[in-house]
Amino acid sequence: MLASTEIAPSPPAEVPRKGDLPRTHPDIIRRNLARLGWSFSAPALVVIGAFTIFPILFSIVVSFEKVNVTGSGFSFMGLTSSNYSIVVKAALWHHALWFTTVYTVVTVVVELVLGTMFALVMERLAKGRGPMMALLLIPWSMITVVSAELWGYVYNSSYGILDRIFPNVLGHPFSASLALMFADIWKTTPFVTIIVLAGLVMIPTELYEASEVDGANGWKTFWRVTLPLLRPTLGIAVLFRTLQAFGLFDLPYVLTTGGPGTSTESLAMLGYNTMFTDLEFGPGAAVATTTALIVLVVCLVFLRAFKAQVGKEVINA
Amino acid sequence: MLATAAVALSVASFGTVPSASASVKNSSSVTTITWWASPISTSGPDLRKVLIGDFEKAYPGIKVNLQTAPTDTDTNRADLVTTISGGATTPDVFMGDVIWPGQFGAHSLALSLTKVMPASFFSRFASGLVAGATYDGQVYGAPFFQDQGFLYYRTDLLKAAGLAVPKTWQQLQSDAVKLAKAGTVKYGFVWEGDAYEGGTCDFMEYYADTGGQVLNATDTSSVLNLGDVTKVLTFMRGLVTSGASPASVDTFQEPEAQDAFQNGEAAFLRNWDYAYSASQASGSKVIGKVGVAPLPTFAGRSYPGYSNIGGWNLYINPHSKNISADTTFINYMTGTQAETVMATQFSEIPTNAAVRANPRVAKLNPPFAVLAKKRLVPRPAQNPNYPKISQAIYTNMNSALAGSTSPSSAAGNMASQLKAALTSSGL
Repeated sequence: MLASTEIAPSPPAEVPRKGDLPRTHPDIIRRNLARLGWSFSAPALVVIGAFTIFPILFSIVVSFEKVNVTGSGFSFMGLTSSNYSIVVKAALWHHALWFTTVYTVVTVVVELVLGTMFALVMERLAKGRGPMMALLLIPWSMITVVSAELWGYVYNSSYGILDRIFPNVLGHPFSASLALMFADIWKTTPFVTIIVLAGLVMIPTELYEASEVDGANGWKTFWRVTLPLLRPTLGIAVLFRTLQAFGLFDLPYVLTTGGPGTSTESLAMLGYNTMFTDLEFGPGAAVATTTALIVLVVCLVFLRAFKAQVGKEVINA
Repeated sequence: MLATAAVALSVASFGTVPSASASVKNSSSVTTITWWASPISTSGPDLRKVLIGDFEKAYPGIKVNLQTAPTDTDTNRADLVTTISGGATTPDVFMGDVIWPGQFGAHSLALSLTKVMPASFFSRFASGLVAGATYDGQVYGAPFFQDQGFLYYRTDLLKAAGLAVPKTWQQLQSDAVKLAKAGTVKYGFVWEGDAYEGGTCDFMEYYADTGGQVLNATDTSSVLNLGDVTKVLTFMRGLVTSGASPASVDTFQEPEAQDAFQNGEAAFLRNWDYAYSASQASGSKVIGKVGVAPLPTFAGRSYPGYSNIGGWNLYINPHSKNISADTTFINYMTGTQAETVMATQFSEIPTNAAVRANPRVAKLNPPFAVLAKKRLVPRPAQNPNYPKISQAIYTNMNSALAGSTSPSSAAGNMASQLKAALTSSGL
């Protein structure tokens, strides 16, 4: 250590100033890379900020306000938590929550089982996997509103082709719910198939050879080899599908308008109606926020349950 | 779900962009206004374009841009609410449902016409129409064309079966059952029973026939009569269980009901004014076989029954930059010339009293001939919470119709949801 009276010699010009590190030092490289990374992702971040983060924050703010909608826009009349108590007490919300949850569980489970079965078949296809894949993708590539209108023709109670076998499908709460789920499963199973197929392709063939040598039959191989190795992939599929199914809006909006009565009204539809039909933006935002919160919690639970596997999957991918 | 802010953003960024290619000379003398209107005529030339053409000829200084609005009234309203509350200056004039003045007035989503039109302007309309477009002492909509519920029937089928035009709902039900059971026609009676605004219209007709009312004189509290509502819902459900109406009537909106009737599959139809001309257009299987009458009533009440009032008004966007062109346009569209075109060439019920009284107009269209005999019932739309009031009515009516709720418990739910709607204490 230098004594305070001593004068430090002035550093030679070539030597970097005190505290600076050589340009090739790993920290500098990392910092430069990080700067580059931020600048590359800046446009995307701005878009996400403006169209995802801001609306979410705005919606949360609105849900705690007494809002008056007028021709000159929103006016906030003061903070309140009554929007939430209105929502949580409403029978309509209870029913929408119940319907959306049942709908999500049923469609996700069925799509997962069917999607896995389809993927197993697809993986074994020696010839024509490309054309089959294209065929399979048609429902998924269709815009939901369009496919909902198509199902509307199929279910139509005057001239629908299905009406001969199941008359007035959309006219009863139970059958209308099933009809919606069926249309969803038809559309979204291909999505699950593709994810699962990607997972299947990644399983090393040596493992199958080993299980064959050990004398395992097909059934046993599926349960002991395929399924455990597929778990991370299935976790991702469940996560995506749950997020999507819980936001159910377009199918019932087009096919049943939430009817009969309000039996097929989903949380998203309830939020939409509350906001844009009744102009109750406070309670409507509270519906949206509670829905988002529920989905968030469910997804965190999923992520936790699949944590190890999902982490691995992401690295492998 | 979270689209509110995004919509506000997009509205802010898509302001009117002045056309760069507009020639500098003369451009200042022409005002362009945008008219937001859903399609009116279902076949033939577009009524909106015909009227715009006539208007631009009469007023060369004003050019009208037509912006087609969604045909579904609730989607239409949702679009307008987000557009106007976002501060957009267009559309300048919008065609809106007759049930909107309460909500649009209370939220200042429409300009008060009382403030921009001379008092004499309002005297041209048939009685009751201006009152229906008024909220809190201000008129918000200029009645453009009116609509009412009618009973359409197959003249050939009734004649063959020796039946008269039914004057009571009970008679209509038994005639419909008879015709459907005999196999002469697939369905007896088709109407609009889906869970939507039209369901409220149909319900109001039966309910008014019992003498019932939904709101008190000041439109502030519920006077719903549970006994009468139960009676009405029991009758409506009975139409399905007796076989008078198909079970699928609980999913029927106007197009489904109209299709069934036009394809020759139904003996009776409850629909609006346009149903007659649509049933006589090419492609219909019932050309020359359709009669029209006022709606029946319940046995023991005086005939005819009540018809619900529908129709469309013209409103001004409070942010419009061309108020004087807007008022000129509205003045023309509700004047005798435009209203005569609508009534004579497109069989819409005119709102202009002078045009309606013209015997030449009444002769042209069979539904017009029964207009004078009819009794009308409005929907309880003078309250700003009308959308919720209507939801309380149509969702519970639809549940009872589907048989998923008993008529008495549906009536109870209707009453409690109505109360919640009026006090804003629930969703």
